[in-house]
Amino acid sequence: MSVSVVAGIGWVTSQGPGRGRAAREFSMTAGPIPPVNREDVFPEPNLRFGRLPQYSRVGLAAVAFALRDAGMEQWKTKRFAGLVASTRAGCLATDIEYYNTVLPEGDGPPSPNLFSSTLPTCFMGEAAIQFGLTGPTLIVNDPADDGLGGVRMALGSLSWGECGTMLAGHIDLPAGPAIPGIRPRWTGGLFMVLENARDSIANGYGTLDLSDGGAVLHNGIGVAGLNELVRACLAFPRPS
Amino acid sequence: MNEVLVTAMASVTGLGPDLDTTWRRLLAGETAVRPIRRFDVSRYSARNASWIEGLESRGNRSLLFPILERLLDGFDPLPRGCRLVTATTKGCIDTFERVRKGLPGDVADIPVSGPLTWLASRLGLDDPGVNINSACASSTMAVARAAAMIESGRADAVLVVCMDLVSEFVFSGFSSLLALDPAGCRPFDRGRNGLSLGEGGAALLMMNAETARRKGIPGIGSVVGWGAANDATHVTAPARDGCGLILAVRRAMAKASIGPDDIAAINAHGTGTMYNDAMESTAFEAVFGSRPVPLNSIKGAIGHTLGAAGGIEVATGLRSLADRTLPPTAGFREPMENCVFSVSPLPQPIGGIYLLSTNSGFGGINAALILKGNPR
Repeated sequence: MSVSVVAGIGWVTSQGPGRGRAAREFSMTAGPIPPVNREDVFPEPNLRFGRLPQYSRVGLAAVAFALRDAGMEQWKTKRFAGLVASTRAGCLATDIEYYNTVLPEGDGPPSPNLFSSTLPTCFMGEAAIQFGLTGPTLIVNDPADDGLGGVRMALGSLSWGECGTMLAGHIDLPAGPAIPGIRPRWTGGLFMVLENARDSIANGYGTLDLSDGGAVLHNGIGVAGLNELVRACLAFPRPS
Repeated sequence: MNEVLVTAMASVTGLGPDLDTTWRRLLAGETAVRPIRRFDVSRYSARNASWIEGLESRGNRSLLFPILERLLDGFDPLPRGCRLVTATTKGCIDTFERVRKGLPGDVADIPVSGPLTWLASRLGLDDPGVNINSACASSTMAVARAAAMIESGRADAVLVVCMDLVSEFVFSGFSSLLALDPAGCRPFDRGRNGLSLGEGGAALLMMNAETARRKGIPGIGSVVGWGAANDATHVTAPARDGCGLILAVRRAMAKASIGPDDIAAINAHGTGTMYNDAMESTAFEAVFGSRPVPLNSIKGAIGHTLGAAGGIEVATGLRSLADRTLPPTAGFREPMENCVFSVSPLPQPIGGIYLLSTNSGFGGINAALILKGNPR
């Protein structure tokens, strides 16, 4: 496997939004996620953001913060960067909200706007438009439940030359009482900007690699889960 | 770099419980799009979909499981160390519907990890597997992923299983978007007026060609190129200039080290919506010029099977190359405006060994595969 550089990190967790260069600590737990407003993410009015369900807002915000952290938020021409995230429940919260409009006791016809957000990748489409990202776009589910499935997938793509830049991370929201028994281990959204080390000029958070057995390695040392990975990145010494 | 063979394949569609039946009925120009009996459609803009006859839920579990059982029934034994990649957009969405209606259902099936874990256990695989959701290009992306794993040497064999159901959840959504054709979809037809939904699945065993040869396993064909790209233009509508699909196809051809003149036929996404088919025609013309490449869509016959579409189309695409015949485009009567490609309600001969198969989806997603048939 070839090595990738972590160029930026951004997140929305139960403790609120954040990004690597503006934070010293990180924790993603299973708590409820506070509402994410447009003003938290974009300084300028954004026509689409206010219409998005919470899942899409969280995902789009985490991508925005990661790109901002990497100094890549502004763009003039589209760039071939991909988006991949792991999830357990996906956009189940949006599915519930949409299906409430389908059920006979719903208060109107099924909502086309909500239906448009009932795929877990839809926020990635929003991010692709907002930031001009034209690479592969996908969500992965795996039973490992370590929150690193998206990062693993991105490291593969980078090493195979599928992309030079990938935004990789994890996203989940609590399903709430409507579907009891589904409790994601992590809730919120987190994205990392990963660049192929050969091409990267980033002053980043260290390197990532995959072991032959599929373990994620930060600067050559295995990490067991999402929190451990982000904390290792934040602890990586870098010039201010 | 390792060559990637497909050594076994199966499919279940509205046209039949196995690939042979689906293939025979595709060639006959038949369609499985017919009135839905599974749920009440009286509120919606269409009444039809392609659904699978005789699916029965056992123990209040999802109808996805009998589809998977049919797929795996009689499937070739898997080699040791085989990896698992699945593709679905909504998984056990019928279980979700049951639970939300207060009916009994196994909540553990609702996250996609539910059927994924079931499959790994049913197949006795050590690999817990991974599911890929990339909207309506999910299984195209899954096949691409599996191919990359084998080509790079990270896997010797990968089973790709793709699946999706016809559900009221999805049907109501496309109805609300006014995207369903009440008359049944008519891909690339001048009078096309929307898509028809479908359900189904496919299983594809992909293997390092060297391993297959060593074990004496013949290949059905190869996956030689793959590419994916986002339009970055609109969430539910395709880019009118086809920019994402053009990029995906060009990347797939570069991966396969072939040029546009090498492509003998195109299996298009061909949903039958006004904008999708126009976008595809524009994109293919940008890549292939005015050469009238034989082009088809099987969605008029089996409906749009969402996350299963790309996988089913790999199976039918490899059969197309083996039989040197592109199946008819069911529902097609009169060519759409400005389409230079050869679309037909009859089977078309294929005069080469490379077939391009593409899918696109919500979120600006586009993916392309290049399949290579075995030279005779």
